[in-house]
Amino acid sequence: MESLIIFLVLLSLGYVFGKMSENRHYRSIHAREQALVTLPTTSSKKPIGNSAPIHHAELVHGHVVISVDYFKQMLAGLRNIFGGTIQSYETLLDRARREAILRMKERCPTADQILNLRIETSSISKGDVGDRIGSIEVLAYGTAISFESSSQNHLE
Amino acid sequence: MKYQPSLPEHNDNVSHQHPVREFFILMAGVLSFVLIGYWVLGLVVDVAVDYLSPEQEAQLHHTLDIDWDMGEEVKPDEQAKLQKLVDSLKPCLALPYPITVSLVKSDIVNAMAVPGGKMVVFSGLLDAVSSTNGLIFVLAHELGHFKNRDHLRLMGRGIVLTILAMLTLGGDSGFSDILASTINIRTAKYSQTRESQADRTALQALQCHFGHVGGATELFESLQSRGKGIDLGLTHYFDSHPELQQRIDDLNRLSHELGYAVQDTQELIEP
Repeated sequence: MESLIIFLVLLSLGYVFGKMSENRHYRSIHAREQALVTLPTTSSKKPIGNSAPIHHAELVHGHVVISVDYFKQMLAGLRNIFGGTIQSYETLLDRARREAILRMKERCPTADQILNLRIETSSISKGDVGDRIGSIEVLAYGTAISFESSSQNHLE
Repeated sequence: MKYQPSLPEHNDNVSHQHPVREFFILMAGVLSFVLIGYWVLGLVVDVAVDYLSPEQEAQLHHTLDIDWDMGEEVKPDEQAKLQKLVDSLKPCLALPYPITVSLVKSDIVNAMAVPGGKMVVFSGLLDAVSSTNGLIFVLAHELGHFKNRDHLRLMGRGIVLTILAMLTLGGDSGFSDILASTINIRTAKYSQTRESQADRTALQALQCHFGHVGGATELFESLQSRGKGIDLGLTHYFDSHPELQQRIDDLNRLSHELGYAVQDTQELIEP
């Protein structure tokens, strides 16, 4: 009976606080994406829409580690039995990828473009099965370039 | 090519279904799977237990020779007297293996049949009964559990439940405990019918031993007079022994049906 109560408390705490932190994170992501929308970030190997000589190029990266809440972890565990899409982890990965790209962009606010964007995801799981930490790390990296002509700053 | 800065209006990478709904649907699925599995495998256990030969059962008891640490044991001579009483009941019950009694010092008014052919008697029981007949009935009740192989049924179900919980949810997840507490109510109900069955066996043994069934309801009446005022309201569900009055009525009806006489009881010589 005690373990049932502890489980239910953890489950509700996980749900409530997980939801709160997710909503807060999404608000932050939306605002920052809007602010940085004018910095083109592509997986293209060549600059897009411009043939001006490149003045400066550097490797930029951003990474983030995010953990799921208890509720989502249990939900994924249940889904594991029946199969199907693990919807409870979708927002986790979505937030982590977008946050990593945002952090990368924030490292080079004066760049004109970021080329050759790559995203790597790895799971951080330490401990025995069933007692694992359900966290993921997402690393985004690319090449930030600035053109020679200063008027080209931030492509129109 | 012109770059047009814009952000997507909708996030297509995440599902917008409510997670709580998903959780309840999946949980209901797991629980029904486990309940059905438990029920079916429970029946399999019952069948398997019925098919077990006395030799196999004796072998099983030998294998299960576990040291059940129940608490401090009382003086060996008192235990020996109880053992003698149990042994004197053997011809009436025809058990294919020996039963070892251990008397444990405790206020609890109870006795238990544990796998491995061991019977644990708590010393509180000796204070609650006033006649040898009353004590013999309780001992015969526990022997009845052995005779009806209830300990094997319960153990079998315990194993089934553990395996099911481990298969579906992994050994040490929180779900296993929840399942255990959910199914406990069912187990209790299951063993209620087994308790009544053991009462029946004990009544027949009492008749066989003394030639009458006086003292059969003695312990229940004694418990009834003690237990007043401590009913927590939960006993109806969680108490695995059928309610006392019900048991007394059943025993009286049964002895009437079988034509058993009720005569004076022998005073208990404190073992």
